[in-house]
Amino acid sequence: MNPHRGKILIADDDPIIRIILKKLFGKTGFEVITAQNGKEAVDLISNEIRAVILDLEMPVMDGIECLQFIRKNVRDISPIMLTASEDFTSAVEAMRYGAFDYITKPFNPKQLIALVDKAIETDAQAKRLRRVEAELAKSRDQEIETASKIQQALLMGIPPKNFKGMEIANWTIPSQKVDGDFYDFITIDSQCLDVVVGDVMGKGIASALMGAALKSYFLRAIHELELSCAHDDMLPEPDAIVGRVQSAMIHQMEELETFVTLCYARFDLSRNQMRFVDCGHMRTIQYLKESQTCILLQGINMPIGFPETEPFTQFIAPFSKGDFFFFYSDGLTEAMDSHGHLFGEERLVKSVKACSGLSPNEIIKGVWADIVKFSGTETFRDDFTCVVVKIDPHDIPMLQPDVESRMTFSSDLKELSGIRQFIRNFCEPIPEELLCEARISMIELAVTEVVTNIIRHAYSGRSDAIVQVTASLFPDMFLIEFVDKGKSFNPEDVPHPNFDGSRDGGFGIYIVSQIMDDVVYSRDKDNTNYTKLKIFLKPSL
Amino acid sequence: MELITENIGEITIVTLMEKELDAGNAKWFKSQMLSIVKKSKKIILDMNHVQFVDSSGCGVILSWLRTITSNGGDMKLVSVQKPVQALFELVRMHRIVEILEDREMAIRSFG
Repeated sequence: MNPHRGKILIADDDPIIRIILKKLFGKTGFEVITAQNGKEAVDLISNEIRAVILDLEMPVMDGIECLQFIRKNVRDISPIMLTASEDFTSAVEAMRYGAFDYITKPFNPKQLIALVDKAIETDAQAKRLRRVEAELAKSRDQEIETASKIQQALLMGIPPKNFKGMEIANWTIPSQKVDGDFYDFITIDSQCLDVVVGDVMGKGIASALMGAALKSYFLRAIHELELSCAHDDMLPEPDAIVGRVQSAMIHQMEELETFVTLCYARFDLSRNQMRFVDCGHMRTIQYLKESQTCILLQGINMPIGFPETEPFTQFIAPFSKGDFFFFYSDGLTEAMDSHGHLFGEERLVKSVKACSGLSPNEIIKGVWADIVKFSGTETFRDDFTCVVVKIDPHDIPMLQPDVESRMTFSSDLKELSGIRQFIRNFCEPIPEELLCEARISMIELAVTEVVTNIIRHAYSGRSDAIVQVTASLFPDMFLIEFVDKGKSFNPEDVPHPNFDGSRDGGFGIYIVSQIMDDVVYSRDKDNTNYTKLKIFLKPSL
Repeated sequence: MELITENIGEITIVTLMEKELDAGNAKWFKSQMLSIVKKSKKIILDMNHVQFVDSSGCGVILSWLRTITSNGGDMKLVSVQKPVQALFELVRMHRIVEILEDREMAIRSFG
């Protein structure tokens, strides 16, 4: 009969079995190749062979060893094992190593033929599946490449080169899968720069395109709002811009079942503040140079694409020379080490703080190096995206207060009442809606605590020294600064107060920290101490 | 600086006539209370005139409260003004010392 069904390899040390099988499979249309042991079979195996029958017990190289070689080198063949009766242990072992099945001697010829047919069909199916998978993977790779091109070309904005007063760095490492990370920089005027950092839920082309669409919507929203409020010479605020983008895109996003987390930040050099709208994005890290601390800026808005999220709430983050802002994607905090631990926000803040003396570019590189060290790899699951905006320590003039008042007093506790009166007088013209009566009372309390602390501790109760207090009013902030020449003070040395009534003291510093939006203690090289208390006059952090 | 004391039965009502109780007069207040605490175990501190208290003022009140209660007595505050109440809440003092609306209620609560 014409051997139209291809080649079959049969290995058995028993010549009788070889003859029987050769006849049997020759008749069914196979070209039969025989081997006397495993070694011969290994030499004869090739891609042309469609099925293999191996005896388990053979000299030189046994069936198991031969099976292992075949499975390793010829992927598309699953051999059938021949075994002497009651030799089940080896048969089961053979199954573990990838045999298609086993048949015991003496065997039923029809059963063996059926088994070979089944093995060939199964192997052919596995081969087809692998081919389809390979094609799929190839097209997936193409999609990733396309998405990654879109990402680089359309999603990552280019910061302005010479924006006076700010130094900006940005960096993206696309992941294997391409997230929808995007960012953009929009120059509003010489004093205002907007930075948008966002992340579209999902991966691949769909999220990359959504990110690109969003970016252009922001430009459009700004343009439209500018036109509509051109007559009163007002710039559209971030909350209005984000609100407009949300209402323009909500339907498309609902249809695509996606949403976007983002932070829209306006750096306003004319007011020394960043005003931002945060919609469920990663908490931006602000490094405060003066107190050498990091704070996390968080908003309260839901991501874009969630229904009924308008109006958006905007917050103010005042900044000073040398402060910087670190925007990032979840690729940083969700980088994992070999044990599955996440890098996390706490480590990120620590890393950012450790790099605080560096330039924006070096800060990003430093943080990247920390994450690589932690995760032990340079390729991340998610996009690694960050933007650093540093307020230039030289270029911007210090903000001038609208009103300023100063008082000098002796370090005597009897002065406390007069100092409170000074603060009360200063607060009087501030409109009630910016600073209410209850808040003024609390400010008086904080001021009393600070001055008592200076007199008792910095001056050890001496009443002949001098303390100076300056109250300054800025558009959005009320600043009270104390200057003394006493001993240095570290608020971290003060124990946390007891609230069980067992101690009389230890509340002062706690009270001040609870009342004020920001408290900064510093000491200069001339041994002068500065205590700055800040109150923000608008909804604040 | 002045404290006015009145006795109703076993109870001594102390009215602080100062507008402020801060680090500047806390020591004086502490010493003035000494003779009162020696004589009476049931004290009502009337804060009606006091518009401002700082942590030093709180400290003195807490210190005397501890002394009085350890001697088996009690001290209650009445007519606490809004800004003072805000401070008491900030340092959780309202949970340690009993604060009542007026002296009549305080007298009744002493039974």
